[in-house]
Amino acid sequence: MDAAPSKPTDSFFLRHEFLIRRLHSLCGLIPVGLYMVIHLLANASIVNGVESFQNIVYQIHSLGKALVVVEWVFIFLPILFHALLGFVFIYYSKNNLSNYPYRGNYRYVAQRISGMIAFVFIFAHVLHLNGLIHADWFRESIADAIGIAQFRPYNAASTAANALHNPLVMFFYLVGMLACVFHFANGLWTMGITWGVWVTPKAQDLASKICLGIGVLVSIIGISALFGFWQVDVDKAKKREIEMYEQRSKDGSIYADEHKLSQPLRKSGAGGK
Amino acid sequence: MIKDAYGHSVKSFQVRVQRQDAPGAAPYWQTFNVEYEPDMNVISVLQKIATMSRTSTGKETTPVAWDCGCLEEVCGSCTMVINGRVRQSCSALVDRLLEDNPREITLQPMSKFPVVRDLVVDRSRMFRNLQRVKAWVPVDGYADMGAGPRQSRGEQETAYPLSECMTCGCCLEACPQFLKVELERKPNESDAEYKQRCGEAYDTEFLGPQAISQAVLFNAHPTGKMMAGDRLDALAGPGGIQVCGNAQNCVAVCPKHIPLTTSIGRAGRAVTIHKIKQIFGGS
Repeated sequence: MDAAPSKPTDSFFLRHEFLIRRLHSLCGLIPVGLYMVIHLLANASIVNGVESFQNIVYQIHSLGKALVVVEWVFIFLPILFHALLGFVFIYYSKNNLSNYPYRGNYRYVAQRISGMIAFVFIFAHVLHLNGLIHADWFRESIADAIGIAQFRPYNAASTAANALHNPLVMFFYLVGMLACVFHFANGLWTMGITWGVWVTPKAQDLASKICLGIGVLVSIIGISALFGFWQVDVDKAKKREIEMYEQRSKDGSIYADEHKLSQPLRKSGAGGK
Repeated sequence: MIKDAYGHSVKSFQVRVQRQDAPGAAPYWQTFNVEYEPDMNVISVLQKIATMSRTSTGKETTPVAWDCGCLEEVCGSCTMVINGRVRQSCSALVDRLLEDNPREITLQPMSKFPVVRDLVVDRSRMFRNLQRVKAWVPVDGYADMGAGPRQSRGEQETAYPLSECMTCGCCLEACPQFLKVELERKPNESDAEYKQRCGEAYDTEFLGPQAISQAVLFNAHPTGKMMAGDRLDALAGPGGIQVCGNAQNCVAVCPKHIPLTTSIGRAGRAVTIHKIKQIFGGS
């Protein structure tokens, strides 16, 4: 019998199934999972005040035109790869939780459900705040009308807080964020099994506790961020952001770009609504 | 004597059987009324049903077909889905089953293998999967090669539980990543041609915990190790270990309590190292 692992007649996916599945697994941690933790940490700086959050956003936007490349290469494309393959994997599986209600099986199903919630949430969240297309015509004709692309990097806290002010939106963000964090923490645990880091049941139990700890910690960070935005006084924040913008664009420590403000300065005037 | 929820002694109980007349035919349910006796197992229930060959409504029917061999839970051939959960019917005691539900027992064939008839399924995919991972020790020929290398006590103790696998299929039935593969037989197709076609279809589908664990067993064997690389290649091939979704149902349902998830973890580690060496080391 020939035991050649794969034949030239097999599909591209089958010939590279191992690599694709392992890349899918790795991708969940690097860059997607790591990015999420950094993102939530940056957002949680709002708890310290509008200035802290705005300064972090200045730092991120100091990349200038390269930011869009970084966004696509390290954030959007990896998330799309991980999510779309994830849907394919879910399609080729058969859940049997009702017959086999074991803890591992619950986690298996929860991992897939949280992944699907996370995909819907991330898609909505990116449209809602980032908007993906930053051209003026898109903003003026479409985005503003339907309430997407609401985030302005140089009015970071005020635009984010304003977008989250509706309790329903806040609830959606809370559920979506927690689904992402669960998917990350539980995925970290299964990734360790997949790659052979924790092998025995004893090691897997210990790893499970550590991953639970990481999950709780990241959840607290995420909830702090949402809570922080909930507390922001939008008008006061906007005033402070304009002051910061005027000063920092004058001393050259940020790229002056009024597209990144809620409104161009000349029209509304500093401190305008 | 077993009592029902109202404290009445159980005199008879119903057995619902999912039947199928031929491969690929539509399954249907039949109910049988079986008189209670102490200390029955599902095999003796099936024997009673075969003697009656009559459903609970009195309709005459063909005897239900089932497979069995050793009757002591070491051959694996009587594996079926009993009350929704996969297990051996020889060790499924009626008294225990009636404690859960005093009225009824349901019997179904395993859902991940092609049905031959009624409760009899074709488990040949499992044996094909053992071939895929070369689950044997390579000692061919007539020459006396002397005693093999010694195995330490520790090695023996890790290997022994893995060697208890009886290829019953419980782990595969409960695995959400292991899906049924069933090919329809073409008209005028010979047995050999059909078998060949099935084998090729199985080869790109998930190996499942059983074959992964056997690959780990033979890779730990001092002589079996000589083919370790081949086995790791098979584990990383199409339908290999990467398909595992870590639901860990396999270890929970294994009647022999084989540490299947530990085997999967060990195989995962070995394959990770093997592949990194292959990709970056050129070996």
